[in-house]
Amino acid sequence: MSYADRLRAEMRRHSTKRIALTLALTLLGLSCAAQASAAHVFKIRDEGHLHFIKSSGSQLIDEGHSSGTFPGIARVRFTYNGNPIVAAQFTIYGRYGTIVGRANGRLSNPTSTSPSLRGSLTITGGSGRYAHASGGGELFGVFYRRSYALTVQTIATLHY
Amino acid sequence: MAISRACAALLVALALWLPGIARGAQSARISAAFTPKRLGAATTVRMGFRLTGYAGHVHAPLTGLDFHYPADLGIITSGLGVATCTPTQLEADGAAACPPNSIMGHGSAEVQVPFGGEVVHETASIVLVAGPSENGFLRLLACATGLTPVAARIVMPTLLIAGHLQISVPLVASLPEGPDVAVVSVQVTLGGRLTYYEQVQGRTVAYHPKGVTLPKRCPHGGFRFSAAFSFLGGGRAGAQTAVRCPQRG
Repeated sequence: MSYADRLRAEMRRHSTKRIALTLALTLLGLSCAAQASAAHVFKIRDEGHLHFIKSSGSQLIDEGHSSGTFPGIARVRFTYNGNPIVAAQFTIYGRYGTIVGRANGRLSNPTSTSPSLRGSLTITGGSGRYAHASGGGELFGVFYRRSYALTVQTIATLHY
Repeated sequence: MAISRACAALLVALALWLPGIARGAQSARISAAFTPKRLGAATTVRMGFRLTGYAGHVHAPLTGLDFHYPADLGIITSGLGVATCTPTQLEADGAAACPPNSIMGHGSAEVQVPFGGEVVHETASIVLVAGPSENGFLRLLACATGLTPVAARIVMPTLLIAGHLQISVPLVASLPEGPDVAVVSVQVTLGGRLTYYEQVQGRTVAYHPKGVTLPKRCPHGGFRFSAAFSFLGGGRAGAQTAVRCPQRG
């Protein structure tokens, strides 16, 4: 075998090693990224039963327990001034921190004693483990006009 | 020189004054009050207006009213009007035919009724009733009933849009083919001592709805109300008022 042949064989062996190493590193990287991504996405499916705390004009503050995949205490500032699109700001106090956000929904049948509402929510931040939380989802609920209580179901995706 | 200046001023004054006479110019004054006036607390809201025609003349009939009130006044969250009454039901049989839980307030109106060369005053009772919603907005029905000398009942619907009520006032003839009656003043109270009923464990229980809640903060200059009135013949008038902020302590 000539010197040139030996050199070519050596290069092929090194090249194969490099490819294998690159592939291994890429796979490791992808795996880590997938794990990191999975750890920061959380599907929320909760139901909250909130009771009236206080009011100021057309703004109500309700609070209560939420149960489901993100259990905690929910506090909602709910504004209903006649427009069928109602708005709310919420804070959910969970075990590892809070998530805060805003929501709006459309009330159907507002003259009934308990009109239902449907809308969307946006998670805008939080504290503790959820300090950089974001996300969004849907909400469904009922507003009790006699007691000013709220029952809210949420299906949302939380990124943190 | 001085005399000619005075004449000119007089002519200008006359020029400004005469169109008012020709149109039968009207002026308006509105009033608003909260009882009790305590920020953040439930209250009754009393609103009213008085129209003044040109001295000695019959008022032009009122045809429309645009009323603005503070948008954050908790009228919708007052717990008032948790049942509804239809305008047809209300017009046919009055508020007595409506569910008690649909009654949102009461009031009265004074109207001028032209009879021959005379003008007779009549007082009509007003009931504020929750009507069926429209496009997601609550509807308020103002039902005015007069008995003598003109027996009539009119129902004026308006949507409860945040901070705004727009009411069309139908014309009511004093006699068949006669001139229309003209509204002079209206006073209404939203809330007050109303009795509602609810089902608790199969029993009907009476309760008093909480009523309109005042915001916790009073805006600078107080809670502002304004109104624009339109009259038959195209006349217009406007007025505003403010409920002063309650004193602290």
